[in-house]
Amino acid sequence: MARRATGGEAKLLHPFFISIGGTLLMAALFTDYMYSSNALMQWSNFSAWLIASGLVLALVAAIVLLIEVALGRAGTIRWLDFILLAAAALLSIVNVLVHTRDAWTSVVPTGITLSAIVAVLLLVAGLRGWTVTAPPVPAREREPRP
Amino acid sequence: MSGRRTRLAVTASALALLSVGLGACSDKGGDPMRQYGPNPWLPEPKQYLLPPMSVPKAVGWKPGETPTVASRLRIQAMARGLVHPRIVYPLPNGDVLVVESNSPGTKPFRPKDYIQGKVKARAGAAAKGGNRITLLRDSNGDGIPELRTVLVDHLHSPYGVAWVARNLYVANTDAILAFPFTPGETKITAPGVKLADLPAGPIDHHWTKAMVASPDGSKLYVGVGSNSNITENGMDAEEGRAAIYEVDRVSGAKRIYAAGTRNPTNLAIQPETGTLFAVVNERDEIGPDLVPDYLTSIRDGGFYGWPWSYWGSHVDVRVRPQNPAMVAKAIRPDYGLSSHVASLGLAFSHGETLSPRFAAGAFVGEHGSWDRSPLNGYQVIFVPFVNGRPKGATVPVVTGFLAPDHRTVRGRPVGVALDRTGALIIADDVGNIVWRVSAASAH
Repeated sequence: MARRATGGEAKLLHPFFISIGGTLLMAALFTDYMYSSNALMQWSNFSAWLIASGLVLALVAAIVLLIEVALGRAGTIRWLDFILLAAAALLSIVNVLVHTRDAWTSVVPTGITLSAIVAVLLLVAGLRGWTVTAPPVPAREREPRP
Repeated sequence: MSGRRTRLAVTASALALLSVGLGACSDKGGDPMRQYGPNPWLPEPKQYLLPPMSVPKAVGWKPGETPTVASRLRIQAMARGLVHPRIVYPLPNGDVLVVESNSPGTKPFRPKDYIQGKVKARAGAAAKGGNRITLLRDSNGDGIPELRTVLVDHLHSPYGVAWVARNLYVANTDAILAFPFTPGETKITAPGVKLADLPAGPIDHHWTKAMVASPDGSKLYVGVGSNSNITENGMDAEEGRAAIYEVDRVSGAKRIYAAGTRNPTNLAIQPETGTLFAVVNERDEIGPDLVPDYLTSIRDGGFYGWPWSYWGSHVDVRVRPQNPAMVAKAIRPDYGLSSHVASLGLAFSHGETLSPRFAAGAFVGEHGSWDRSPLNGYQVIFVPFVNGRPKGATVPVVTGFLAPDHRTVRGRPVGVALDRTGALIIADDVGNIVWRVSAASAH
């Protein structure tokens, strides 16, 4: 994990937003499941809000990530995490559109399938630390070792 | 290296997604003429990825512009500067009532509702209604009123009106009010007396309450629209909705006369047979050519399909739980009006007042589509009747509400009626005008 280094470099901020957004997107699998089992529309409404909010946080996370990269505060990109998270975000864009349909087909079968795939991708990304880049390398360590 | 490949993969998948989205967007509707009449062509339903929205921008009429009328007819603006006029209602003495109204407003449930509301507002759907009834008096029948007054003010999203037995009945979105009134009067100051409550808030998705009196004046028929497109606000919200009510004019007792009519936007009595007819707006978002709006006779106790099925027994998979027993009962409507036209006006002709072509049949005001490309509706048509039933091909009567570029809309027709002289009067809720169409020879 990133530690506050003597060079004054802070912790990465983007994993914070990814973790919140990812949690909301995973929660949509539960609300989709509830709707598919009891057909009460409010569960489908919850899903639509969870996915939409998850995507807003994904956008915030992407902006924060870009800033961190631009400021040179991020470490190297971890491509597996990037692919997992990017795929989850893209599938969620499709999913939020599927959830604009009215009633049953907003969830079953396409919506809940997408929610399940996204939840699996995010579970892996979450277990790997909700991060796209390696921790920032403290300035001291960048110097060639004697 | 792997970085570049990843970027390529990401770009490619983004483009693929975009094309899927655009594919859904560019889905064009077929020829609407195939869906007029008793046996409309019905394609397979489809599910959209992007909600279908295609809304022209409301621009209003420039000075000198008018809708286009069929040959040997003339059109003039009878009143301008109204506040979202929806219904026109001629009184026996020739005065014309104009109901100026719009939705009481509904709260969004989903992220979609915010966006859809914004898009529909482009076409003037969000303009505030006057919540009042204006009276136009044109004593000499030249189409230019000598008097214009506000007859009743401070109503609550009013729609249908009926004058029966020295009472003016006004269907607000939440109740029928009775105002003692004799034609000739120009202002009603007495508060209305509530005759009956009507299903309204808190959602009130389809808010209009069309109303017509039975031929003997003993009953009032009221159209109550569904509380959603297709039950997406929950089944509980649909209790008592999507139905036509029969209200006893004296006691106010009401019962559901017919059900399964998604949005019965207007009602009228066929003059020869005394049969109740309705124009009904059908469901959206299963394709540009589904489901046709329709004109139909209404049977006592009849069930017309919504929400479980459309056009008889075509099951709508979006509704859960499904209900095969009700699907089996669903009546096929009499006459398709093509998809998404938003048929809002209905008036039967009274003989050859406008033209021999329009001697027997119904005028239908098509407000115009918001979720179909190419746009559909935006005109007043005539549906010929034979022996009290709709039969034959429709005739466009008043067109040109849509500008020639098909991107802007100058007006949208709503309620239609025939005045004392037999002229066709049309409420235009975007132009904020009442139009009057008369035979070209008559002045």
